[in-house]
Amino acid sequence: MSYLKLENVKKVYNNKVTAVDNFNLEIEKGEFIAFLGPSGCGKTTTLRMIAGLESVTHGDITLEGKSIVGLTPRERGISMIFQSYAVWPHMTVYENVAYALKLRKLKKADIDEVVQDVAKTTDIVQYLNRYPSQLSGGQRQRVAVARAIAVKPKLFLMDEPLSNLDAKLRVSMRTDLKRIHQNVKSTSIFVTHDQSEALSLADRIVVMNHGVIEQIGTANEIYHESETMFIAKFIGSPASNFFVVNVILEDGEVYLVHDDFKVQFNGQEKDVLIKNYLDKSVVLSIRPENFTVNKGGFIKAKAKIIEPQGSHIIINTDIGGEEIKIVSDLLELESGENILLGFNDKVLLFDSETEKRIK
Amino acid sequence: MLEKGHVKEIIKSPYLLLVPALLFYLIFWFVPVATSLYESFTTISGKVGLNNFILVLQDSLFLDAFVNTLIFALLSLLLQFALALGIAVLVNQNFKGSKLFLFVILIPMALPPSAIGILWNTGLVESGWINSFLATSGIQNVLEALGILKGPTLWKAVSGLEAVMTLIIIDTWTVMPSVMIIILAGLQNFNEEYKEAAQIFGATKWQAFRDVVIPIIKPSIVTALLLRLISGLQVWLIGVMLFGFNNVPFLVERIVYYTDKVRTATNSYKMANAYSIFTLGHVFTVAFLFLRVTKDKKEGAK
Amino acid sequence: MENILKKTILYLVIVFISLSVLIPLSYLVTISFSSQIEVNDYPKKMLPSLYHNIAIKWDAENQNYIVMRENNEGIFKELYISSKYDKIRDYMKTQLNIDMTTERIEKDFNVAKDTGEIVEYKYYKSFFNNYIKFFTVFSGAEKALINSIKAALITILISMSIGGAVGYALARTSIKKKEAIRIGSLIVRMFPMVSISVPMAVLLVRYGLFDSMLGLAIVYSIPNIGLTAAITRSIFIGVSKEYEEASLVFGATEAQTFRKITFPLVLPAFAASSMYAFITAWNDTAVSLLLTNKNETLALLIYKSIGGASSIHYAASGAIVLILPALVFTFLLKNYITQMWG
Repeated sequence: MSYLKLENVKKVYNNKVTAVDNFNLEIEKGEFIAFLGPSGCGKTTTLRMIAGLESVTHGDITLEGKSIVGLTPRERGISMIFQSYAVWPHMTVYENVAYALKLRKLKKADIDEVVQDVAKTTDIVQYLNRYPSQLSGGQRQRVAVARAIAVKPKLFLMDEPLSNLDAKLRVSMRTDLKRIHQNVKSTSIFVTHDQSEALSLADRIVVMNHGVIEQIGTANEIYHESETMFIAKFIGSPASNFFVVNVILEDGEVYLVHDDFKVQFNGQEKDVLIKNYLDKSVVLSIRPENFTVNKGGFIKAKAKIIEPQGSHIIINTDIGGEEIKIVSDLLELESGENILLGFNDKVLLFDSETEKRIK
Repeated sequence: MLEKGHVKEIIKSPYLLLVPALLFYLIFWFVPVATSLYESFTTISGKVGLNNFILVLQDSLFLDAFVNTLIFALLSLLLQFALALGIAVLVNQNFKGSKLFLFVILIPMALPPSAIGILWNTGLVESGWINSFLATSGIQNVLEALGILKGPTLWKAVSGLEAVMTLIIIDTWTVMPSVMIIILAGLQNFNEEYKEAAQIFGATKWQAFRDVVIPIIKPSIVTALLLRLISGLQVWLIGVMLFGFNNVPFLVERIVYYTDKVRTATNSYKMANAYSIFTLGHVFTVAFLFLRVTKDKKEGAK
Repeated sequence: MENILKKTILYLVIVFISLSVLIPLSYLVTISFSSQIEVNDYPKKMLPSLYHNIAIKWDAENQNYIVMRENNEGIFKELYISSKYDKIRDYMKTQLNIDMTTERIEKDFNVAKDTGEIVEYKYYKSFFNNYIKFFTVFSGAEKALINSIKAALITILISMSIGGAVGYALARTSIKKKEAIRIGSLIVRMFPMVSISVPMAVLLVRYGLFDSMLGLAIVYSIPNIGLTAAITRSIFIGVSKEYEEASLVFGATEAQTFRKITFPLVLPAFAASSMYAFITAWNDTAVSLLLTNKNETLALLIYKSIGGASSIHYAASGAIVLILPALVFTFLLKNYITQMWG
């Protein structure tokens, strides 16, 4: 039986706006899950329903096999890191960490032991007697983490915890969070709109859009086997490139036909294409690094703008009026040069109506 | 060239912007305050001493005025604060119609004092609207059946503590919104995540309110309390409008009474000044407290 | 179930609080529209009436009309007895706020005389009668209104020019002792003007400003200059210098920059502090009581009318006239109120 289970969870605001719909998820003990999606996709709402800060309109949430819908936040045995950290400004760092333990009626000595222990884990021992106003953003973040792990929660929730930090600190806090998670082995849910955070931290990623789950999977699955066009567009930087192509059958072979190219298709989706998509248009999705440049291709193009990145370059070009971005290691390439493009077999095909992957 | 530049610099000195204000306060504030202080320590014949304060202590209404002012200031503070906090929390819940509700309860704050005088005078007289309301709503009958009332109440016939209580209730009706709005501003600036964090970490709603919300909005609360304290200590007009001079004496009421009598009685001038020392004292005390609190607030916000 | 109960209690509390604010006000408004007869009614009505139901009976024996009015309990009570139409007309006008021509009365009343029966009429009150009366019955009400406006405008002028300069200095220049200025203005604002009214009166007499609106405005400006400085300071700080610098960079002169960029941006603050100044002056009773003699303000006139029981409905209309601008401005200022003591 799974540790945390969300079944058909739905959230409707004011009987009008559906924020989350048909949300199904099972999480194993000790897993690190990320909810990823653009702002307003319902990821934070889902997290807050798990926390008990929002009511559940429909569906069930079970933790260790027991339904927690209807319980107050304090009865759920969870902890949370907030976007603003919500480190209480009128309490010292020590008092912040100790507050939850006091409410649990622990003995003074026990509280002290726990506080010192988590302070060591989170590296805030020297700040214990300071007030939050005397700390930097990164230090406050650590206090929030310390406070959250001190209660030994059944579930560790994080609502965009890194978004208020500057870029450099964000990367190092990310590593710290992963380290702490590996030490504490708490079951964690992490909400973010930053794909690199999600990809680097999570065991599994739940990609959401418009209140529904687009895909649940590991970083590799999400990136290489995107289930929907939305994910192919949302994940990856630069994003995937799309071409609308026609599927035709000639001499028993499947061809994808675009205004600027025609290519034979031998992928595993070939049978489905023959069965359902002959003489119809589908969407071909190619990741920027899956193009070949000047290595025997079949699409003629011109490198319009070159963006050097040090280790590689990004070539901006257009094919049939579409802006295309290509990642290449041809560091010497200059803008204005003609290039010959091809692509490898790691391409995805999407139904142009449903925007779901054809497989 | 250098000379010219120098002149230009003086003309452009930012301190020139303060000159009109300084002159204004020197002439129209500092001079009267200093005069008032000086006058309160000198007799009519010019002798320096505490004579005037002895006169004040001998004023037959001094003790009443002192006690009434204290009772009024403290009780109205308590009542207004409790109501204001409750209503601010209520409004902050953003229920359906909370904007309209806020609009309605803010109305009394906007009313000029003399209009308040008319409003409550028409209410307190025997055939006034308070008794009318009790009669038409049937509350009068209930109270009479319970033996609490016998016939229309003579609200204006009260004196002493009862009159002070009447004034406290009327004052609360009038100024509670101005206390409420300061607390409400504190609540609206309050980051809800502080409260949610407390609830997540095991606090009940009440514990979260007591341990987190109240301490964090404390600066707003103290500001509201001190401001109310100061205007409570300065009460006089509503008392005079409803009960006349001398009937419900307050310290500031004494000042006005003697000031108004200056034209006829010789000692009044000195009496008014001597009573004024009281206001000087409490204003400086409360201002000092206020500054300490707002200083904390600034440091907390860093 | 528990939720519904909670909600019901919540709304009951809200209704109770709202009513305790609205009922007194409703009675005041009603009284301000009441005729003399209604003022003496008990119990009084909570909402204003638009008309009186009048019954007329011809007393053939004494050759008199008996004028009766339906009171709050729905019973017709005798009001006035006369045979003279113009006397009846005057009575109806002064006591019932009903404005009718003698001819109309003659025509209506003759019906009762001719038929010998009681005739009932619904006569509409001339609704704003008390408001017109307020300015005619109270000698000097019109002058008091003008005085109030005058005092308010001068107060605005003084506090804006002196306080605005301080606000600008605090926000945009590097003067020292900013904290001292803040503390000073705070103490001044907490200080009740009545407590220094004796030396103030002496001072004003010396400069020939006693019993003048300029004198009052000066006293009103004492707390208001500090307040204006505080509000304009916060706005000058809020208007980023970069807006002005951007304008200068794009080729505007300093004068153009002030006119086109700075001024429109700080205008709301100036409007807000003007309204504050207006309210201070408009609402004041205490200062004008002590520092004027013949030149009353409207608020003072109303204060003085409190004793006069017979004309309380006129005073009530005066109070409403006094309330309306104060109410409008206070609500426009709602968002600034908390800044007052910042």
